[in-house]
Amino acid sequence: MTPQRWNQIKALFNGALEQPIETRAAWLQRESGGDATLLADAERLLRSFDTLGGFLDQPAQVAPEDVSQATLPGGEGEGAGWRAGDRIGEFEIVRTIGRGGMGVVYLATDRRLHRNVALKSLPASLAGNPELRERLKREARAAATITDPAVATVYSLEEVEGHLLLASEYLDGRTLRAVIDDGPIGVPAARQIALHVARGLRAAHDAGVIHRDLKPENIVVGPGGTAKIVDFGIAWLQHPTGAPQTKLTHEGAMIGTPAYMAPEQLIGGTPDARTDLFAFGVILAEMLSGRHPLVAPAPDSAAARDALARQLQAVADHARHPDPTQRFGSALELLAALEGLPEAAGTTVAGPPVSDDGTARFWWEFHQGAAAVSYAVLIWPVWLARAQIGGLEGRGFFIATTIAALMASMLRLHLWFMSRQHAAELAWARRRSAPFIRAADIMLVVSLVIGAGLVAAQSVLDVVLLGLAVGVAITFAFIEPSTARAAGLE
Amino acid sequence: MKAHHELMPLVYDELRRIAARYMGRERPGQTLQATGLVNEAFVRMAVERTREFQNRTHFLAIAALSMRQILVQRARAKRASKRDAGGHQVTLNDISAPPSAIRPEFERPDPDRPGDVDVLALDEALSRLAAFDPEAAQVVELRYFGGLTVEETAEAVGVSPATVKRQWTMARAWLKQALEAEPRQP
Repeated sequence: MTPQRWNQIKALFNGALEQPIETRAAWLQRESGGDATLLADAERLLRSFDTLGGFLDQPAQVAPEDVSQATLPGGEGEGAGWRAGDRIGEFEIVRTIGRGGMGVVYLATDRRLHRNVALKSLPASLAGNPELRERLKREARAAATITDPAVATVYSLEEVEGHLLLASEYLDGRTLRAVIDDGPIGVPAARQIALHVARGLRAAHDAGVIHRDLKPENIVVGPGGTAKIVDFGIAWLQHPTGAPQTKLTHEGAMIGTPAYMAPEQLIGGTPDARTDLFAFGVILAEMLSGRHPLVAPAPDSAAARDALARQLQAVADHARHPDPTQRFGSALELLAALEGLPEAAGTTVAGPPVSDDGTARFWWEFHQGAAAVSYAVLIWPVWLARAQIGGLEGRGFFIATTIAALMASMLRLHLWFMSRQHAAELAWARRRSAPFIRAADIMLVVSLVIGAGLVAAQSVLDVVLLGLAVGVAITFAFIEPSTARAAGLE
Repeated sequence: MKAHHELMPLVYDELRRIAARYMGRERPGQTLQATGLVNEAFVRMAVERTREFQNRTHFLAIAALSMRQILVQRARAKRASKRDAGGHQVTLNDISAPPSAIRPEFERPDPDRPGDVDVLALDEALSRLAAFDPEAAQVVELRYFGGLTVEETAEAVGVSPATVKRQWTMARAWLKQALEAEPRQP
């Protein structure tokens, strides 16, 4: 049937349905204009309509077990059907971890070494292509030489019962995609993940391996905020014959990997180390803003106020420059730029400050430490004042002031420690302790003022206590906010 | 809808996960309406993977196509296994299944019984319909395999609900006649 013919039948069919049933036959006769086949077709359709009953009225029914066993037509490797307990060579399947364009990934136990591995069953189509297999072997061998904590270790490439299997380190964690989708990552955590990924890239590039498909889905974030890159050496399998399909749908929505591809790769050029750097830049920008940079080009205002976020953004922009020659020259350069940023856990704070922000951070830390010490020392004049005031009031004054001073002092020591040892979590620690520090400071000021009022008039202690109260108030209200802002913490 | 092939694995994954959960709850052979499965998949995916889909109907369209493929795949496998067994075996699965699923493959379906549709024949007829009226074929795919309402279908196809109703009526009439006219090949 041709579409034209169908349209004619359609017009007759729909027209006839609007006619009263008694005159329908006559109407059809007239409208079909003597075309007997057309008339017959329309009449047959109308008869079918009259007896439709419940035909297709209820949506399809489906058995859950059918769906759970379904495999993508043509898209999945042959190993798609393995179940827990199945043995493939020396591997015993534990469960399916995921499925992708390249095949199915299982958690399996290598019975020779009694260790868990991520077992990827590669497309069966590879078996028939000696050239691709040769390349796969070469790349897997190269990938296996990368030994870096930030890269999932490739254990072996094996051929078992006609299946091509790639065994690699099993990682317990979530993909960076899931982490980003969960909400804001926080600048320090983004920095830490970026550092790990940059280290992984550097190690891989040193070993002569390019990833070619770096994306949040290929980065696994572990429990301690450590990040590892997976799929080194095999990402090219997804598009073994050349450029991938375009990533943009007709409505401009970002789909799949092309969102992380460098311009030169998108137009079919040969990817090199700088292609990975581009993907890195896009990922870093996405971590900072929570959205793909093409979707949300400008970082949000809160992040922009953060000095560290601004610097990370600059690194991201440099890494994802459209012109490959304008990017970082290598992963090593990129890593150096990231490590040069302040707040490096244990790297910059120990040495001389490396930048304006490093100096500011130093002053902020100095201030926290100094305040912590002064508040502890302040207990001594308070002790003297207690003796002067005497009685129950003296005791009350001493206890209240000491508690406030110790609280304010210890919380600041805690922040100082976090800044030196766990820079990545400083922002979180500051947020959490802020209300307690504020309460302790206010309590300290108030009790010092009350104490000054209670001390006998002839003593100089009232002046000392008032002075201390003013000092604490100024610290709390002015000095601390400015050092924190200067250090990029606000 | 160009990106179907890229999003399909995601939808399959989700459908498989949900189905696996149902298997633990229901007795063997129990069937579900595609609508429920597809909607549940959407709700779950909307939380995790919104960015991949342009909108709900974009997702539903892919899910409907997935369901069609899954049902056809399953029907083919069943037919193949029955043929291997001499064509007369009724499996345990079939016995515990509701009436619509008991029908052995070699028996002609009764088109007057709702839900009793030969999936392979329908799939084949639908492909023929798509050759001269792709829009009507998509309406059937969305309505029958995806369980979409008229309004949802209208949104997914980009036409008015009234048009969808007309296409739906006529496509059903044509499909019923096509299924009756050509007895299935054994």
